[in-house]
Amino acid sequence: MSGAGNRESVFATRMTLSVMKGKLKGAEQGHSLLKRKSEALTKRFRDITKRIDDAKRKMGRVMQTAAFSLAEVSYATGGNISYQVQESVSSKGRFKVRARQENVSGVYLPQFEPVIDETINDFKMTGLGRGGQQVQRAREVYTKAVETLVDLASLQTAFVILDEVIKVTNRRVNAIEHVIIPRTENTIAYINSELDEIDREEFYRLKKVQENKQEGVAQEEAEDAARKSRKADADAAEAEALAESIAKAKAQVAQAETDDEIKTTKNPVLYEVSQVEKLEQRAEGGEQAVLQETEDDVIF
Amino acid sequence: MPPASELTQNRTLIAAIGDEDTITGLLLAGIGQVTNEPGREKNFFVASESVKVEDLQKIYNEFIERDDIAILLINQHLADKIRLLIDTFTKPFPAILEIPSKDHPYDPEKDSVLRRVRRLFGE
Amino acid sequence: MEGLFFNINDGFIEAVVRGYKNGLLSSSQYVNLTQCDTLEDLKLQLSATDYGNFLSNVSGVLSTSIIESKLNDNLVSQFRYLKAQASEPLSTLMDYISYGYMIDNVALMITGTVHERDRSEMLERCHPLGWFDTLPTLSVATDLESLYETVLVDTPLAPYFHDCLSVDDLDDMNIEIIRNTLFKAYLEDFSDFAKTLSSPSDEVMCRFLAFEADKRSINICVNSLNTELTPEDKLKMMPGLGRLSNPAFQHQMVHSDDLEQLKIVVNSVGEYKNFFDESNDKSMEDHFYEYEMTLCKNAFTQQFTYSTIWAFLRSKEQEIRNIAWISECISQNQKDRINNYIAAY
Repeated sequence: MSGAGNRESVFATRMTLSVMKGKLKGAEQGHSLLKRKSEALTKRFRDITKRIDDAKRKMGRVMQTAAFSLAEVSYATGGNISYQVQESVSSKGRFKVRARQENVSGVYLPQFEPVIDETINDFKMTGLGRGGQQVQRAREVYTKAVETLVDLASLQTAFVILDEVIKVTNRRVNAIEHVIIPRTENTIAYINSELDEIDREEFYRLKKVQENKQEGVAQEEAEDAARKSRKADADAAEAEALAESIAKAKAQVAQAETDDEIKTTKNPVLYEVSQVEKLEQRAEGGEQAVLQETEDDVIF
Repeated sequence: MPPASELTQNRTLIAAIGDEDTITGLLLAGIGQVTNEPGREKNFFVASESVKVEDLQKIYNEFIERDDIAILLINQHLADKIRLLIDTFTKPFPAILEIPSKDHPYDPEKDSVLRRVRRLFGE
Repeated sequence: MEGLFFNINDGFIEAVVRGYKNGLLSSSQYVNLTQCDTLEDLKLQLSATDYGNFLSNVSGVLSTSIIESKLNDNLVSQFRYLKAQASEPLSTLMDYISYGYMIDNVALMITGTVHERDRSEMLERCHPLGWFDTLPTLSVATDLESLYETVLVDTPLAPYFHDCLSVDDLDDMNIEIIRNTLFKAYLEDFSDFAKTLSSPSDEVMCRFLAFEADKRSINICVNSLNTELTPEDKLKMMPGLGRLSNPAFQHQMVHSDDLEQLKIVVNSVGEYKNFFDESNDKSMEDHFYEYEMTLCKNAFTQQFTYSTIWAFLRSKEQEIRNIAWISECISQNQKDRINNYIAAY
């Protein structure tokens, strides 16, 4: 039988068979569930990748506008404010992010949210002498730009996490589909064939027993009949001598006894026959299953 | 896996590696934070055109190992210099975002994440 | 009468300045620049002007910052040439002009010193026109008190520090406030000096300085609107000259809580009426520049004055800003705003 090596090492018993059948059912159910999860995630994933693509392009534009606002600042201040800006940074960031969780098919995706502390402004004095308004405007433009970046970061993180989760899920789906299910099926087939083998042996044994018994019964019956006929001859001679009424009654009693005896000897034989018939049926079914299996193997 | 909330709740900062103008703009938006704590003095790094690759790698590694950074922004032309490091970075945090700079417009072909997207869809 | 002897010492310089002035880009040249599609085109267009092939040594990709720094080098070399030829009192006037840049440099160095930054990095950022010999030593001082006592005392800026700031102030005050306070003292001093010049230099210079002072006053008031600066703080930074310098105006300005109140004060000066006009996408700063350019243009109509130097310097700076703006617009593809430059000639 093909794949004989790829099965679990179990004893072929009816108990293991039912355990294996349960396992197969579980695996199939798990497979369909995981498959559905993976599909849900992939749907989401495709959605996200599309949005990432868009967002990245949008970011290009947003950052350009922002960079341009900085050009306005340097036009207005007539100099470079970057050094001053770098030095004015305080120990508390104004623009931070907070992560919120979003649950997609059991996967937690972080969603960054901008948290802006409006009370902090390290650059109030920047450009006090000239260009202050442009500085503040650039600040607003850049704040917006960073908000876009934060959105994009959420998408990207979701992308990375989903990518990983989908990979894991697909691995599981494939493992179940291509390893666990075939192996369980192989095991079941193996147990079935082993059980059939045992059944065939049993069938043969029973047939032998039946034969033996039937021979015995036939012999006994023959002996019985011979004894009876002998007895009947003797009785007949006596009966002639005895009164007719008594002879009649005796003959009736003897008849009843033989009937009983036949019944008791015949019944077990009947049982055996029905058993053998059942086994035969099953053996046929088994053969069919095996046939089926071999056909399957051919297909694979 | 520990719940993602544990991983993210301390990550509140946006870090940045970029040229002077980019950093100035981002700082104006208020992402900057300067502290005296060793290892996390600054969350931004100004890279000139002549910046050494080793310096970039050092500061990049420093940023991705900090546990208070949620997003790392890096100019694309600088990311190109340490492309291998970025391509091989697979952790979800911090999210590494390549941004354009004034003199280097954004090129989606180079972006590590977008390239991954393309590969996944077999383009 | 004055004009009679002007050319003895200063005729050459004036000639050179007027020569430089003729080299400033004309509006038709600006139009050509705005037609460029790439920075290389821009370079080509500029090579047809007085700038010649100043960008020819640049290897690699052009960027706005490279162009800007080259333009600045050009300005600095012209200024140095003029200064080398100058005699009294023009040389003093030019010293005064450079004090303004010195203040910026000192402010930069102080910021750097407070934050313990790399010295060479800071020196690179200093404006070359505001360079003085002891500038590098500024960063040697570890605290601000010694900074003042050992270094600043010997600089020309010492009186400004001395007059307006005590040593204690240096510690926790915002560097922007220091800068503006210094500037106030500087402008007042400069104006005193300008008054000693011969006519018509004094007249034109004072007009320039008055506008400079007013510009700063307006800016300080506008930009400090939503800050915690008290009216007294603001008053300390408002220069005591210019049309807005009379106490009544200053009082009103520093006590304004919103832009509208400020507008009323500023609009009461005829020439400044359109400063807050927001139409045509023009900001206050644009109006300032425009007005300044008008002043410069007018200054060139006067002969025999030292003020042409100032007018030229300002025009040149404006030109650098214009070119930087145009190249920024080109490189960032923001052509719709490219015409925001101010061409005076």
